[in-house]
Amino acid sequence: MRRVVVTGVGFVTPAVAGGRAALAAALTGRAVPAPARVAGGVLAELIERDEARRLSRACQLAVAAGRLALADAGREGADGLGMIVGTEFGDLASTLSFVDGYLRRGPQGLSPLLFPNTVMNAMAATATIAVRARELSLTLNAPTVAGELAVARAASLIRADRIEAALAGGVDELDPLVEEVLGSMGAGDELRGEGAGFVVLEAEEAARARGARVLGELAGAASRALSARSYGLGRRTASRAIAAALEQAGLRAAEIGRVFTSASGDDRRNRWEEALLDAALAPHRPPRTTLAAHVRRHAGSGPLAVAAAALGAAVSGGALVYAVARGGTHVALVVRRP
Amino acid sequence: MTAVVVTGLGVVSPFGAGVKAYWNGLVAGACAIRPATLIETEGFRCRLAAEVPERVGGSARRSRADRLALAAAREALGDAGLGREERAEAALIVGAVGGGMLEAEAWYWSRFRGEPAKDARALRSTFPLSHAAVLGSALGLGGPRETLVTACSSGAASLAVAADLIAAGEAPVALAGGVDALTRICFMGFNALRLLDPEPCRPFDRDRRGMSIGEGAAFVVLEDRMRARARGARIYAELAGYGMTTDAFHVTSPHPDGEGMVRAMRSALERSGVAPGAVGYANAHGTATPQNDRIEARALREVFGEGRLLVSSTKSMIGHTMAAAGALEAVATVLALGHEVIPPTANHTTPDPEVAFDCVPVVAREAAVEFAISNSFGFGGQNVTLLFGRTER
Repeated sequence: MRRVVVTGVGFVTPAVAGGRAALAAALTGRAVPAPARVAGGVLAELIERDEARRLSRACQLAVAAGRLALADAGREGADGLGMIVGTEFGDLASTLSFVDGYLRRGPQGLSPLLFPNTVMNAMAATATIAVRARELSLTLNAPTVAGELAVARAASLIRADRIEAALAGGVDELDPLVEEVLGSMGAGDELRGEGAGFVVLEAEEAARARGARVLGELAGAASRALSARSYGLGRRTASRAIAAALEQAGLRAAEIGRVFTSASGDDRRNRWEEALLDAALAPHRPPRTTLAAHVRRHAGSGPLAVAAAALGAAVSGGALVYAVARGGTHVALVVRRP
Repeated sequence: MTAVVVTGLGVVSPFGAGVKAYWNGLVAGACAIRPATLIETEGFRCRLAAEVPERVGGSARRSRADRLALAAAREALGDAGLGREERAEAALIVGAVGGGMLEAEAWYWSRFRGEPAKDARALRSTFPLSHAAVLGSALGLGGPRETLVTACSSGAASLAVAADLIAAGEAPVALAGGVDALTRICFMGFNALRLLDPEPCRPFDRDRRGMSIGEGAAFVVLEDRMRARARGARIYAELAGYGMTTDAFHVTSPHPDGEGMVRAMRSALERSGVAPGAVGYANAHGTATPQNDRIEARALREVFGEGRLLVSSTKSMIGHTMAAAGALEAVATVLALGHEVIPPTANHTTPDPEVAFDCVPVVAREAAVEFAISNSFGFGGQNVTLLFGRTER
């Protein structure tokens, strides 16, 4: 099996946009809740005006973050590049615009240009065109853990020699309807935001051969499902995902120096996550960190945790990035010094 | 190298519930494309769809798509004879596009008209991720769980990813497939793009004018061949390989040379070590749009050469079922290998000189083939080719 390394990171969040230097700077700053939405000026600096006219806002977020990640990785060509995108809501704003056209004007009000954006792979479709990623492309739809799942899937594909490299991450736009519906379902206190975050993953040999600046090794990645109803919480606290990721990385729980969690203000989900971590790592209890206060929680924040873990890989052993979603899907990613 | 085999099948199609109804309909060359009843069609150029004809069982609180998926998934798991402990380890990979949008549209329509507010909790099954959550919870599936959206190739992509999970040892067994119920957005969108034929579609026919939309669900159980043999499971076919590529060309149009399609087909062949000449049948993506069929035929010719390959499009009978299409067509391909019968291309009466293949017009054909491919292509230039083998190698 091939080793997988992280060679770049790119992100656009309400607080900050950039690559590894911007992420490192953001993480050393005081953790204060950032605004929920990405300011228009941020995207205007990253997307050409012609492109901005053609692309929806969600697609702009994905394209901008993907380009920043490839630039950070120093990859000039996109040969052998796949793209795995996680998202919870897709391009909902375009979907609603498409529908509103019909409701206001009937069939004549339908925009054929908006229709493709009603499919959740719209962000992957536009980003693969923008960066010329011609290997396989997948969009993963999941609550809370979509970005972490995308990173795990990409790592698995590289390890199995399906692709040589991948842009893996997530994107979500915060639509007012989403906020309203989530609020009505009792999830209104979460530090939700919008943004996009991608890491560049590569087969270690290929990365070394091109002289890439390796951030860290993604040594283990696994996902499993715990028993829970849709958007519900489960009672079990044994995380087979953590055990599988540690085994793949060849590490013991005691060798984990830091944990990046998906805690975001959904208190009941947070408590479940804490219990799962306690059970998996006991009696060891390494420091736990969440990026929610820095970049809020969205499909791009999990991949940023992977990059943050790699930036802090001076920690002996490795770092664990962990996330559990309502509904029971949970993902464990082990990052260590290359 | 781990061989991945198919040990269970489940289908809900416009021919009704069950694999048997599906296969009988395909072999009969029956066309299930009729005037749509689930959605409003007034004012649209095309008013047809292939709908699942009977009442779909299950709780009315669940979306139609969730219920379609549950019925097909239950049949597949039962067919494979998987017990509770085996399910607890099983991966679940679902290809989906529309999610529970049919019900969400009704909610949104009502709100737009200013009618009294309905409970927003009805929207919790709106997104495609709902299917995996519902199936996983209801069927006790505890392995890796993913919802894939690669537009019209989603169902095929789910089988490919599930096969990788098994080959990599990440799961011993997987339930994989696709589902989509008819939605207003899909129907309106393809009408707006003028890609729908006002009459039932005619794939690869010279006079084809576009696609027909359908709905349905299909799931298969995939597992390691050694494991399947050890537990005495019935093995339908081997999923010998797959290829998955991206055009990176245009959001809705395929590359004019079909180069992404060619790469997907060649990748499936190369990774499985199967020569093009060993493949006897292609269940084509075959949407019946003038452009797609022309480009797919060109890509098939480039990979397999002219003439010899039998090519048919089962969309001619059940319409384009979106995310379910790749999975439904995979099931059709597996059954064609096992029954030694190639399902026809219905409504195909006038050959297109640009399509250099026998498209098995109208009537099913007896033919024993060793290997067959199923092509699925989607918006965003998302190409998937699945390669199935009749015999275990």
